[in-house]
Amino acid sequence: MKYSLLLNNQRVEVEAPGDISLLKLLREYLHLTGTKEGCDVGECGACSVLLDGKLVNSCMVLAAQAADREVITIEGVCLPDGSPNDLQQAFIRYGAVQCGFCTPGMILAGEALLADNPQPTRTEIREAIAGNLCRCTGYQQIVDAIEQTSLSRKEKKGHA
Amino acid sequence: MESFETIRATSVSEAMTLLNEPGLRSRALAGATDIMLLLRHDPHYCDRLVDISLIPELRKIEEQNGRVIIGAAATFNEVMESPLVQQTAPALVQACHSVGAVQIRNMGTLGGNVVNAAACADSLPALICLDASTSILTPAGGQSMPVSRFVTRPNHTLLPSGGLLLSLSYPIPASGSRSAFLKLGRRNAMAISRLTVAALGRLNDDGRIAEARLVTGSATPSIERLAAVEELLLGEAPSDLLFNLAARATVAEMLRLSGRRWSSEYKIPALEAMTARILGQVFPLAAA
Ligand code: FES
Ligand code: FES
Repeated sequence: MKYSLLLNNQRVEVEAPGDISLLKLLREYLHLTGTKEGCDVGECGACSVLLDGKLVNSCMVLAAQAADREVITIEGVCLPDGSPNDLQQAFIRYGAVQCGFCTPGMILAGEALLADNPQPTRTEIREAIAGNLCRCTGYQQIVDAIEQTSLSRKEKKGHA
Repeated sequence: MESFETIRATSVSEAMTLLNEPGLRSRALAGATDIMLLLRHDPHYCDRLVDISLIPELRKIEEQNGRVIIGAAATFNEVMESPLVQQTAPALVQACHSVGAVQIRNMGTLGGNVVNAAACADSLPALICLDASTSILTPAGGQSMPVSRFVTRPNHTLLPSGGLLLSLSYPIPASGSRSAFLKLGRRNAMAISRLTVAALGRLNDDGRIAEARLVTGSATPSIERLAAVEELLLGEAPSDLLFNLAARATVAEMLRLSGRRWSSEYKIPALEAMTARILGQVFPLAAA
């Protein structure tokens, strides 16, 4: 079938089978490999993307369900010049990236949380990333990075 | 060659037509969180999926004639964030909250949970505790039945072929009622539930129990209110002693309904403790 979607703020069209997951459409037909395939059964969050602004596991969504809707992948999270944004910088600074496999999903989970709840508590941060597994960091650094980003975004807003 | 097709329906009548086209095995698709797993085991599970998740009328949550009506395609997150559900059914809010992680709650729907009726479907004990009913549309017309009758056993319901679950609804509990839901799972976000309890209770003016409802999930083959335990509570004044008695009666009911199993050794003390705890939540003890 022919898919049309608003992907990272750009209208894209692609021809692909009608029975594949959104994850497969992104990686194999649109060649956006930033979204990772971990478990392919909805348990690890490595494939997290935003569908109409909501965090979902792209392995658990049929590509056909995303047709004509808005999808944001990790490739769409950056500063206007393409460099890492503040949350991504904080992940680097706090050592929240080790092998990096969980990172795209973690960043999207973090952005989804901060969009919804700009000043989350640490418990709320933990809950927001509860569906994202990380085998390397032990999570502490990830929670720190999201918390710091929330604080610095608040400060920026205060100064603006 | 594609093993199935997916078509998005924009209205209930369009969905009914698509679901009932002769010669095709069609199934309704809402959040996809269960169906994706089925399709992985069996890509030829059906010929056509009819995506009903964007039909506006199936996502509404509203009050009508003393009942809260929840569209079958409302997601767990939409249900738990609805002020109407928060005010009338904390047990359902807590049950939806305990489903998976945010990624699953953003896609998974209340209707899907009921129609698939997994043994571990967290919403079922809460809905049955709320005396919830289903509203179903079939090619022959509409019908309604209690959730407790609709779900016959794990993975089996009375949904007629070609039928579509439109909504779930429950009568708004009498004022002064409290409800709660507890789940014992292993890893928080993803634990498919091992043991759940839902309870609803109300005290009369002299502090005695005027209404008591108790339902356990994943403990018995069919999910229903435990009348024997509810009777034991009615008319009594709340006390820890009473809650412990009721907890023991709950365990006795579980053993009567499902027999002793390999898991009983684990479930007996767990269910007993959870029951006593949830009764303490819905029946506040008079300040000593
Ligand atoms: S790859 Fe989708 S949740 Fe693991
Ligand atoms: S950094 Fe390796 S899995 Fe998270």
